[in-house]
Amino acid sequence: MNAEQLRAYLEPIRGEYAEARSLILPALKYAQTEKGHLTREDLDAVAGATGFSRAYVESVASFYDRLYLRPVGTRVVSVCVTLSCMLRGADEVWEHLCDREGLDPHHGGTSEDGRVTIQEAQCLGYCDRAPCVQVDAEETSGPLTPEDAARLVDELREAPAPEHYWR
Amino acid sequence: MPVLNSVYRHREAGHLLTDLDAYREAGGFRALSSAVADMEPDDLLYVFHRSGLRGRGGAGFPMGRKASFLPKDSRLAKYVVCNADESEPGTFKDREIMEMNPFQLIEGITLAGYAIGAERGYIYIRGEYEHQARILDEAIRQARAAGYIGRGILRSQVDFDVTLYRGAGAYICGEETGLLESLEGKRGQPRLKPPFPAVAGLYSSPTLINNVETLSALPPIVERGADWYAALGPEKSPGTKIFSVSGHVQRPGNYEVILGETTLRELIELAGGVREGRRVKAVWVGGSSVPVLGEQHLDTPLDYESLNAVGTFLGSGGCIVMDDSGCIVRSTLRLATFYRHESCGKCSPCREGTTWMEKILQRIVDGEGRIEDIELLESLFGRISGKVLCALADGAVAPIKSALHMFRDDFVRAAEQGAPRPDPMLPATAAS
Repeated sequence: MNAEQLRAYLEPIRGEYAEARSLILPALKYAQTEKGHLTREDLDAVAGATGFSRAYVESVASFYDRLYLRPVGTRVVSVCVTLSCMLRGADEVWEHLCDREGLDPHHGGTSEDGRVTIQEAQCLGYCDRAPCVQVDAEETSGPLTPEDAARLVDELREAPAPEHYWR
Repeated sequence: MPVLNSVYRHREAGHLLTDLDAYREAGGFRALSSAVADMEPDDLLYVFHRSGLRGRGGAGFPMGRKASFLPKDSRLAKYVVCNADESEPGTFKDREIMEMNPFQLIEGITLAGYAIGAERGYIYIRGEYEHQARILDEAIRQARAAGYIGRGILRSQVDFDVTLYRGAGAYICGEETGLLESLEGKRGQPRLKPPFPAVAGLYSSPTLINNVETLSALPPIVERGADWYAALGPEKSPGTKIFSVSGHVQRPGNYEVILGETTLRELIELAGGVREGRRVKAVWVGGSSVPVLGEQHLDTPLDYESLNAVGTFLGSGGCIVMDDSGCIVRSTLRLATFYRHESCGKCSPCREGTTWMEKILQRIVDGEGRIEDIELLESLFGRISGKVLCALADGAVAPIKSALHMFRDDFVRAAEQGAPRPDPMLPATAAS
């Protein structure tokens, strides 16, 4: 994404903040919607559109789990593994997905075809539907058996890539 | 058992109030209309104060008192910030309010803004709640179009507008000063206090920060009166509280109860209880950052004081239940991992301490521990607690320290022979 596009996105909300620095996070999130992660060019564009340095923008971006500074899969599947979900079978879901995608269950990662990234998530706030799984930041499903979760991943693999990535 | 659904209007109505007309039909915006027409800001502050409402995010600080800390003579802009970063493990009550009843939050933050003389409020929502953020976006748009927020609200001289701000995945941004840093476009690392946000908060201006559930309680309090609210439950813990119940219960979900009039056992029963033939072994009643309770504590009434008396906190009301099929050592390790992951890294005792606590618990679970590991773990607590800027480290220590105290035999056995992984309680139903 370029600085011009970002400026157009930020223009209507600029007046809502006393300091322009507050625009950095919305700009990063918006920049990420294009490719699903942030490239060097995206960080430059955010810096340009907000008036802060690339180094500063990157230091902010690197703080947050849901801003990706490296490429990830077409869809990011977050498996909640915190206590409530663990008690209801989250580890079984996690291991089954890692196993099917050929990923190391210590880290998860991106499938060979690049279609899905399987990552562990800390409490997603859907403990009433434990164990739960979130696709990007948009769809959260549960309770899921390992087989349900695998079916969900299969469906994602077949589905077209989203137009914008909100993750 | 006294269960009350009268504070959060979607619970009273029994259906979604995501549409402005539906919210108005359920009594919505009556409080705001009467407040801007007939009440001075100070009258409103006095209502908050007399209601006895305490902060529902976790700390339980009296809301009216917090609001009164903002300087009256400051020439700086003032702000209300709603903490909608709900990330405490086991807590999903704010999600319900935002999903089903976003206008009550908007009305609540606007009442708070009018009371303190703010012209802008921010709702800081966790990035993982994109679905809820879209519902709020739409509700804010509708409320503005109908004149409930914006310039000259309800044809009065009062200006107040609301901005929704999306986080991007960081538990620490639920800590109020971490949240402010994040909202200012920085890494979400907590600040040294004092100064407190009431004096120097967002953009160094006086700022009131309250949780979603707290702000959403304001409209019915203003409408029905502080006395009505104060009369619910015990004097020091009045009102209702939404408890999120999860883990080994048969009907996990949110349950709103009058404080002080329901016991922990009754709450768990409301959530369907544990499975036939199982007993409750451990309960983290206020989210995961509180000392764990055992079966002997089940008859404790749910209110701030009674829970303090048994050594824990009401916290966020995220009540996680583990039955006797679960492994307390593994559950404790899982929480240790959470805090290690979420430590922001600013204070070394927390950054290094959470890492070490996880590492020691991991080797105990893996059967590679030694009996001395338990003492080693205990020696860390005092080097972490109280030596850091924010409450995250205390939250990390509390469940570990209390579990070691209450279930020592389990930890000793694990240190000697490891802790095998038990079978989880599997979901009974397919995906919904």
